[in-house]
Amino acid sequence: MTMAARHEVLYETEAALRLVDHELTALRPDEPVSPTEHPAAMHLRALLNQPEGQPVGLAALPFILERANQEIQAVLANLRDSRDALETATVEKLQHTSEKLKEVTSATEVAATDILDALDRAQNMIDDLDAADAAGEKEKGQHTRDLLREEIFGMMGCLQFQDITTQQLAYASSVLTDMESRLLNIAKLFDPATVMVRAGTQSPDARTFDPNATTRNADQRQAVADEIFK
Amino acid sequence: MKFLVVDDSSTMRRIVVNSLQRIGFTDIVEAGDGKEALERYDATIKFVITDWNMPNMTGTELAKALREKGEQVPILMVTARSVREDIIEAMEAGVNNYIVKPFTPQILKEKIDALMSVAAG
Repeated sequence: MTMAARHEVLYETEAALRLVDHELTALRPDEPVSPTEHPAAMHLRALLNQPEGQPVGLAALPFILERANQEIQAVLANLRDSRDALETATVEKLQHTSEKLKEVTSATEVAATDILDALDRAQNMIDDLDAADAAGEKEKGQHTRDLLREEIFGMMGCLQFQDITTQQLAYASSVLTDMESRLLNIAKLFDPATVMVRAGTQSPDARTFDPNATTRNADQRQAVADEIFK
Repeated sequence: MKFLVVDDSSTMRRIVVNSLQRIGFTDIVEAGDGKEALERYDATIKFVITDWNMPNMTGTELAKALREKGEQVPILMVTARSVREDIIEAMEAGVNNYIVKPFTPQILKEKIDALMSVAAG
């Protein structure tokens, strides 16, 4: 580096430090702090308030930076703790929620398919009824009518999926509301003044759903109940 | 014979009521939760079929409340809950038998028949 370049760097550095000194002096709390001032600005003012006998102005900058560094480290430590807590509390729940949402899709599809199959069978039975009537076969007609009633009754049973998927969706909703609340708490760490108060997002009543509700393996689950109540 | 069917899902109430009618029981009272069931319960009710998860008062709370009143009416729980600990909790609350959702009309008939024969002594 040439002598001229060194002088230029020194000049630039000195100018930058003077600018910082000017800004820090401007921030010094000569007047009472506004009650609406942002908490972060208030904290910075507190940092700048050096006790009597301590260096002031530009000479105080290293001390201020050191204290600022300590504050930033403390905030980072808090953020790490928050992240760990968030991970521990939510990752498992989110995985479970994801599984439940997939199950909602499959339960809906299975029920729709079962009902469509039953409708196909019912339509065939109506054709059989017409044929039996045309041929004057009363006994066969009566038998087909009984089968048709059973088929329609079976369709109603397929609709039980609605109650179970409602519970699965209520569980998913409760997990998302819980996540929202946790994330808002973290956001408040950064900027408490700008985090809006949530308007009426309510978690579903935990008494109205079973987090493990499922349409699967009903026979096996019934066997467990039968064993206990025998 | 009068039945009290308790479920917060109107779809489920309709399915249970329809199943009972198919079996041959037509005298049926409905309630949307345990609290409403307690209000509607009287001495003419001879059989209670209840869900577990409901607002205001759950099925197990309803069973406990009925037993604390000294009611011996058969209580059949029809619920999606199927963890062993839950089933035991229901039994301890005073539930007499347990059906896991989704159920078939055949299971409902079997359980009702079994409880009625026990009640008949």
